Amino acid sequence: MPEVDHRALEAGLDALDAPALVQQGPSGLRRFAAVVLPPLVAVVLIIVVWQALWAAALWPEWKLPSPLAVAGEFVRLAGEGKITETLWTSTHRAVLGFLVAVAIGTPLGLVVARVRVVRAAIGPLLSGLQSLPSVAWVPAAVLWLGLNDSMIYAVVLLGAVPSIANGLVAGIDQVPPLLLRVGSVLGAGRLQSARHVLLPAAFPGYLAGLKQGWAFSWRSLMAAEIIARSPDLGIGLGQLLEQGRLLTDMSTVITAILLILAVGIGVELLFFRPLERRVLRSRGLTGAPA
Amino acid sequence: MTALLDKPTRIDHVVRLSGVGKSFGDVAALDGVDLDVAPGEFVCLLGASGCGKSTLLSLVAGLDKPTSGVVDVHSGRPAVVFQEPALMPWLTAARNVELPLKLRGIGRVEREARAAELLDLVRLGEAARKRPHELSGGMRQRVALARALATTLDDSDSGAPLLLMDEPFAALDAITRDVLQEELRRIWAQTNTSVLFVTHDVREAVRLGQRVVLLSSRPGRVVREWTVGDGGEDLAHEITGELRGVISSHARG
Repeated sequence: MPEVDHRALEAGLDALDAPALVQQGPSGLRRFAAVVLPPLVAVVLIIVVWQALWAAALWPEWKLPSPLAVAGEFVRLAGEGKITETLWTSTHRAVLGFLVAVAIGTPLGLVVARVRVVRAAIGPLLSGLQSLPSVAWVPAAVLWLGLNDSMIYAVVLLGAVPSIANGLVAGIDQVPPLLLRVGSVLGAGRLQSARHVLLPAAFPGYLAGLKQGWAFSWRSLMAAEIIARSPDLGIGLGQLLEQGRLLTDMSTVITAILLILAVGIGVELLFFRPLERRVLRSRGLTGAPA
Repeated sequence: MTALLDKPTRIDHVVRLSGVGKSFGDVAALDGVDLDVAPGEFVCLLGASGCGKSTLLSLVAGLDKPTSGVVDVHSGRPAVVFQEPALMPWLTAARNVELPLKLRGIGRVEREARAAELLDLVRLGEAARKRPHELSGGMRQRVALARALATTLDDSDSGAPLLLMDEPFAALDAITRDVLQEELRRIWAQTNTSVLFVTHDVREAVRLGQRVVLLSSRPGRVVREWTVGDGGEDLAHEITGELRGVISSHARG
């Protein structure tokens, strides 16, 4: 076969067989209609139903305040600087706790995944801990550590570390053995193989674990804040919630719940969702739509 | 400079197996295998399932140790291409080719230049920045080939370059396989690499190899070997007959 023909044949095959490039997502108005509009409509609908229920006066005002009353309470709290204060107190606790949980959960997951004895010893315990609601740790943490910040962090860690470690274990278990074989064929030693093959290959699973770990940090924090109140602790969102209950102030309670939701959704949308999409896309795995 | 020229390259074999056996528990996969591969030689290892072809390749690659006999390899780091391209999905084609160089501690600039050269060699210079999922099966396998060559070509201080291939084209469609066989012949001629190529396809073996070695199954032993000259069609016929004989012998056992 003449050389030129062969080259053209190969180029033709490459052009025909290469998967079609992923088309860009919808843009402008269509994207707005597909992505932004549905959740907006849902929120508006919820508020409309809420308003209608309030107008029907099925429950007394202290049980179900109007949306406007809650908005007014929000503005009042914001004016006092309380919103910023509670948001800051809680998010910085959650973020700090989460980062420490990552620092502990990652090496723990790595050891559990790669050392057989350790896995046999604490693997089941680690998965079991995931199903234990972290609020169950609050009484123990209060007795051990007293009513202070370390108690709150302890609860957050106990909630988040198992998720993160388990996520990494799952990620590592799903790494195709052939990739590790290729790594050693290409000349990777044990450490190099972990750094250049195992960890990057396990990253999608690890990321899922991080996401869940964050959700657990946030939930555990709220549980701890609702139960533990002390002048030393400062006012977080959980404490604001409990304050609302003590004062029978439903507007404050709803405001606090909405703030807790907003932080959860915000972190997911601003941090985890884009990161996850980037990671999955670059590997040709279909991520969440748009 | 003279040191480079005086390098003792006068070896007469890149691979030498003497009486190599390998058992997994009670099961003998290989038994008393003798096999030489000369520098720059293209040897095809042919056999049916269960003949220990892949086991033999693992031994040569140093992934496993023989139960008996001696495996002698005069190559810095033998390169291996598997049936699956097994590219790292998070790296671009170029970064995949760079990986073995990176593992060896070669600097970034040199790595990038070398990878670009090798991608050009497999005619994928333009796909350097694509990720594996954006490439066709044949293109992925060529990236894998370039990556394997990166492993062995630059690391030949202690011997000749050696490429081990474990049914690398078996999962490809017929046209792509045909093109890649041609491609491999060209690259082999250009790089002066020794190739040990495992296959169960007689035509592929005769088309590619200078020498075809037939292994029996359970345990794998060298049954016969042929030097490929002209008249490939007759030779393929003869080898097919022999291979059929080897396979039918298992029906009686």
